[in-house]
Amino acid sequence: MSNLLSVENLTMKFGGLTAIDDLSFDAKNNQITSIIGPNGAGKTTVFNCLTGFYKPTNGQMFLHKEDSKISLRKYTDFKIAYVAKVARTFQNIRLFPAMSVLENLLVAQHNELMVASGYSLFGLLNLKSYRDKEQLAVDKAKYWLDIIGLTHRADDNAGDLPYGDQRKLEIVRAMCIEPRLLCLDEPAAGLNPKESAELNKLLKFIKTEKQTGILLIEHDMSVVMGISDHVVVLNYGKKIFEGTADQTKNSKEVIEAYLGVDE
Amino acid sequence: MEKKDIIQSFKDSLFTGLIALALFGPIVGLRTASKGEGLFITPQWGVVFLLVGLCILGRFLINLNSSRKTEITFFSKFTSKFSAITEDKAKHFAITAILFAVVFPFLPFTDRYFMDVAIMILTYIMLGWGLNIVVGLAGLLDLGYVAFYAVGAYSYALIATTFGWSFWICLPLAGLFAAFFGILLGFPVLRLRGDYLAIVTLGFGEIIRIILINWYEVTNGPDGITGIPRPSFFGLPFKRSPDEGETSFHLFFNLEYSTMHRIIFLYYLILVLALITNYFTLKIRKLPVGRAWEALREDEIACKSLGVNPTNTKLTAFAIGAMFGGFAGSFFATRQAFISPESFTFIESAIIVAIVVLGGMGSQTGVVLASIFLIGITEMFRDLEQYRMIAFGGAMVLIMVFKPKGILANRKPTILMHGDKK
Repeated sequence: MSNLLSVENLTMKFGGLTAIDDLSFDAKNNQITSIIGPNGAGKTTVFNCLTGFYKPTNGQMFLHKEDSKISLRKYTDFKIAYVAKVARTFQNIRLFPAMSVLENLLVAQHNELMVASGYSLFGLLNLKSYRDKEQLAVDKAKYWLDIIGLTHRADDNAGDLPYGDQRKLEIVRAMCIEPRLLCLDEPAAGLNPKESAELNKLLKFIKTEKQTGILLIEHDMSVVMGISDHVVVLNYGKKIFEGTADQTKNSKEVIEAYLGVDE
Repeated sequence: MEKKDIIQSFKDSLFTGLIALALFGPIVGLRTASKGEGLFITPQWGVVFLLVGLCILGRFLINLNSSRKTEITFFSKFTSKFSAITEDKAKHFAITAILFAVVFPFLPFTDRYFMDVAIMILTYIMLGWGLNIVVGLAGLLDLGYVAFYAVGAYSYALIATTFGWSFWICLPLAGLFAAFFGILLGFPVLRLRGDYLAIVTLGFGEIIRIILINWYEVTNGPDGITGIPRPSFFGLPFKRSPDEGETSFHLFFNLEYSTMHRIIFLYYLILVLALITNYFTLKIRKLPVGRAWEALREDEIACKSLGVNPTNTKLTAFAIGAMFGGFAGSFFATRQAFISPESFTFIESAIIVAIVVLGGMGSQTGVVLASIFLIGITEMFRDLEQYRMIAFGGAMVLIMVFKPKGILANRKPTILMHGDKK
């Protein structure tokens, strides 16, 4: 299995606080890599560095393509999603609540549609080439909505959906940009056991069918242990353990980090 | 209703009376009159007590009414029914309104005064529609929109008086200039949001006005620009006696000369310009860039995570909004034939923002209703002179109380998967 993402000596300092300290790990293609750790371990900061919201103090992050690799440090802001094709979701859901479900998925395909609409010129003229492209985008949205079972609510406002459906919608919205790496920040937070199981199914589907690497931050161990191929454990910004799910469960360091040391 | 409630509301209305007394006492009660040499104060306590009494009584009645839940809802029921009708039959409503607007100049009761008011309302509708792109769709609160109106008006006036080009060449140029200024404003405020953006745009509006006052060599300062050419009907001027070798409108069509011809032409001109603005907005809302504007209004961070370029998206919103402001500005210049910085004060921006917000952010029909309501009411009370702004404020309060989200607040998706169910 080839590497998809390699993080090398990543360090992020906020003033005197070192949120991430010399972190290195790899994520492989078609695998789910989980990052776990107690609260404040620096998990979300890793994501923010990867997805261009923060500029790391030190270190490198590479995304491997077939025979080349691109440095994620070079891209900031929207270019991470646009050029490097790294998509993400957020810990607190960030949908466009007053827009319909379908519109949410179309905004994710903004850049292709923008070119197809000739930067609005063809669109204003209502050319057939643009209408066809728009139909394709709608078909793609419908494909994903069928998978999460929300097709019947496509025209409702995204903010009106139940919480669990909003989570799933946010994930498929990120998938609409056809990412190479999908970063999920606590996708199971606030879900009941049934919804968590559905989420597991969706993530497995994305991993196997879409050939997309997934990077996952999660507290819900039923999700982490159920689907992770590889687990990275952080504590106070440092990597304390790395291995398979089973190895992690039995690791002394991990148990200590979560539960403390025996007196 | 219990006795306790009555006592409570009675106390409340007495307190209201106290506030009313504090306000009306000095303003109405102490009237200054000049007798011979100097000013003398004539107290008018009778009027004050009448007003205070009215306030107490009104407050008491409102309190009584609010404890009976069924009846207070009467007005809001009425307005929500009205907006339900306009939503359901939005298309019929729009067509009826446009047909009415088209035949309006030829209705029997239409006179010069009505035409002037109608032209003014249409100008505000067009400005409202232009600002709706920036505020309603992209969610960028722009309190300096009048700056683009001014840029459009001055570019038109300067180009037309300097080069003598026709209205139809100057109009797009004025729009382009305004769009350029929109981008100019857009760049420094890209990172700002909400209140901070509002403050900077407000400042921008004032800067433009102050430049217009002080750049005497170009803008003629506070004296303004006079003798701006009137528009012609495809080359036929509206003049009683045309120049040598020219045919004027009434001669060409064999009509009796009347000043109304030009007014009617201006009316149709602004109607067409406004409808173009509306058509453009409705179209572009359904295009990727329009959806990106709305997405940006909803959540900028999510936009970035999806690869939407926020810089370009915001700048296009500013530029296009400003362009329509510029068009409206050149219309204003050609209608007045005289412009000065006084026409572009902050109150104009405030009125336009009020129209957009009270109409319901992003609602095109709402802008029309709010313009008619706000401008129309202010005109109706013109006889009250400076007090007519009370009517304007009253209209705003009424809308805010009964329709806090605006007259028409419903948003329709730009694209439907399952088609229209209704």
